[in-house]
Amino acid sequence: MKQEIAKNVVLNIDPIKKFRTIKVQIDFLRPLDKEETTKRRLLANVLSNSTRSYPSFRTLNDREMDLFGSEINVYTRSLMNLNDLAFSIEFADPKFLLSSDDLLKENIDLLSKIIFDPNLKNDHEFSDDSFETEKRNLMSNLASVDDNQDLVSMLKLSSLIHRDNPNKQVPIFGDMVHLNKLTNQDLYDHYQKVIKEDTVIINVVGDIDEDEFAKALDNSVMAAFLKEARHDSKITFDSFDKLVGHPLNEEEHKHLNQSRLALAYVTEKTDPDSSHLAPQAMNLILGGDDQSQLFLQVREKNSLAYSVSSSYHPLSHLLTIQAGLDAKTVDQAMELIGKQIDFIQKGQFSESQIEHAKKVLSTRRKISSDSIQYYIMHNIWENIYPKSLLNDDRYQEELDKLNKDHIIKVAQGIHDIAQYRLIGD
Amino acid sequence: MAEKLQKFSKKLKNGYQIEVVNLPGYNQTYGVAMANFGSVDILLPDQKKLPAGIAHFIEHKLFAKPGYDVSEKFAEYGANSNAYTSYTKTAYLFQTLINPYDNLKVLLDLIQHPNFTEENVASERGIIDQEIQMYLDMPEWVLEQRILNQLYPGDPIAEDIAGSSESLQKINYRNLLETYQNNYRPSNMDIVIVGDVDPDKVESIVSESKFETFEGVPATEAKTMVPIGEGGSEKMELSQGRSSFGIRVDTPLRNDDLVKLQFELNMIMETLVGESSINYQELTNQEIIDDSFSYNVVAENDYCFIIISGSTNYPEKFQQYLQKHLSYEQLYKVLDDQKFERIKRDAIGAYLFAQNSPDAIANQMAELHFYDVNYLELIHLIDSIKREDVLKIAEDSLKKDNYTYYNLLPDRT
Repeated sequence: MKQEIAKNVVLNIDPIKKFRTIKVQIDFLRPLDKEETTKRRLLANVLSNSTRSYPSFRTLNDREMDLFGSEINVYTRSLMNLNDLAFSIEFADPKFLLSSDDLLKENIDLLSKIIFDPNLKNDHEFSDDSFETEKRNLMSNLASVDDNQDLVSMLKLSSLIHRDNPNKQVPIFGDMVHLNKLTNQDLYDHYQKVIKEDTVIINVVGDIDEDEFAKALDNSVMAAFLKEARHDSKITFDSFDKLVGHPLNEEEHKHLNQSRLALAYVTEKTDPDSSHLAPQAMNLILGGDDQSQLFLQVREKNSLAYSVSSSYHPLSHLLTIQAGLDAKTVDQAMELIGKQIDFIQKGQFSESQIEHAKKVLSTRRKISSDSIQYYIMHNIWENIYPKSLLNDDRYQEELDKLNKDHIIKVAQGIHDIAQYRLIGD
Repeated sequence: MAEKLQKFSKKLKNGYQIEVVNLPGYNQTYGVAMANFGSVDILLPDQKKLPAGIAHFIEHKLFAKPGYDVSEKFAEYGANSNAYTSYTKTAYLFQTLINPYDNLKVLLDLIQHPNFTEENVASERGIIDQEIQMYLDMPEWVLEQRILNQLYPGDPIAEDIAGSSESLQKINYRNLLETYQNNYRPSNMDIVIVGDVDPDKVESIVSESKFETFEGVPATEAKTMVPIGEGGSEKMELSQGRSSFGIRVDTPLRNDDLVKLQFELNMIMETLVGESSINYQELTNQEIIDDSFSYNVVAENDYCFIIISGSTNYPEKFQQYLQKHLSYEQLYKVLDDQKFERIKRDAIGAYLFAQNSPDAIANQMAELHFYDVNYLELIHLIDSIKREDVLKIAEDSLKKDNYTYYNLLPDRT
């Protein structure tokens, strides 16, 4: 069931029986803005710290446990050019429990309180306890990022490829510069904007009665907030054109056991008569799984890396490669990676590699529907950019028509746009 | 209550234990073959010690067969495959939409036919060495090894599961084969398939499969307990300090009693340092911890311990606070009936959450088989725990003699 409650407020209910839990997720979306990114992450943490009726982290956690371990998750993530502030609660399907509690109602009530009935100090600030604690926690988390070398490498690569987009220079979890100057009142002001202006997508997945859910939602604190019209959140696309032919390179040295390579390439738009899935198939052959060229050549044959892989991001046409290796073998690995790209560009891969790629694409798609998150993500994309979704028949058609020439064409249109080397010494 | 999961379970004549669970509505079939053999099993009855990392090396190299790699076969039948080694288990798994029976045959081929050669062992060393180097750059990983070396000084559990660059040099195709033959026996393994498959067909495939190795359960050296370490610290190039506090719980318990103990210790920790505890709140208010603070309870044969860890700028205060507040007396004060009921509900919820995932069901079921616990009856085991049981365990385990610590301090020189 899909229902537009108000302009840019959408409710999707997927009454699916196979899961043993029920999940309600509410996404608040607006365009990424570097001045807001850190605020939104801190807001996520402050709101999930406590509420007016559960005024400490401890009492809120007690409540989750009382509800048979309901899991609350509040976080931010980027979806293309949008900043998605997502709130979710997942709870045990009461049909599997010997309990007389009205778990659906109680959980919706708890989620409503987290979003719309926060723990306040006055009418323009959050409680000092939750604000100060979460600000400190976030500071500490940001400091720890530097100890995660894979993350550091990917952030550096992202910063290089988005050099001209200031809104993507701040990581989605925020940065110290903005956090340091963030006040309680700034945060509360942003909160007011979020709950009044952001596009809202509500998803419910699990074995529930749609009317019962609608009634519980209507009786909750959030009902009043969801009936007002909200701003649009339009998708825009990254452009890496300026980097084609002028790739950016950066190398840093740290005292580490392992060096990291993070490489970015952009692919050209596929021809209208070519399969839409050709770039994904090309990525699978290059480095998408344990049968790929990178895995077999860089890892298995030459023993240079334990971890080496590639990923493809269809909406931004971005191909990335990551590897962890010994500093002495970085150049050798770079040469091997180049050779694998060349191998695909020259069409030296076999028909069985194409068949394998097709099989994996089809399998991953169907297996992913064994998780609640699949339905939620599907519904979100359907609302913000439906063109990104192919239905099952269309997906199969695209797989059926995929051929070697399509893959070669994609590979020949790969352009190196950035390279980050973190050298351990 | 809605219909609970059903399983088909059988001990076969060839020694294998098989378990099949149908998960209605799911597209995938997930299979796991688990050996009751992990990184700690390096002490032999004749006092010889195998090189650290040998179980993990076997896990990597079993995929190699004459002229092919097993992952290719899985791929041909539409499956993706993987494997992992823990302190006490090694597991091989596949996930597929199609050909579940062919993939099961490939899984059997994978665990039954070693093909260790001088050449393929040499080439794997480089790969595993990179895996080790990767872990050495992860402070949480390093800290776990250090605290384990305080909990069990010099014990195999204190070594990296993958071994070290030095121990890799001592692994060769001969000791790999010998170790494999000692430990990969049907009676020491469990096979679980979760998916829409016919249990009779699974039984017939596994029954017909020939295992060319010794029968019986492998002999192992009885463990001698060494005194707990007094704690320690070291400097590391870090942005943020990390601390861990360890509690060793020496217990003769085995099988379902051990699994029950694990739940009881989890309840103790949830009450004392979980997110809804007074201590968590105090540690946060005193700015000693951030939200990376967590605890982990491990209860395995010969190894039962708790590790509490997190980022901190005040390692001394971190240790002092936990030393002072982790006590039976405090637990007795805060674990009232309401709190106990709440914690139990949380554990029951967690059990249901896991049932959304075929891989969680398969892996937990296989693991629990080695403790004679039926995964599908776990809810009754949780339900049977009484507040008095938990208090008794706390009285026995929360003693200062059982405590130790380790800190990783940022090297700011």
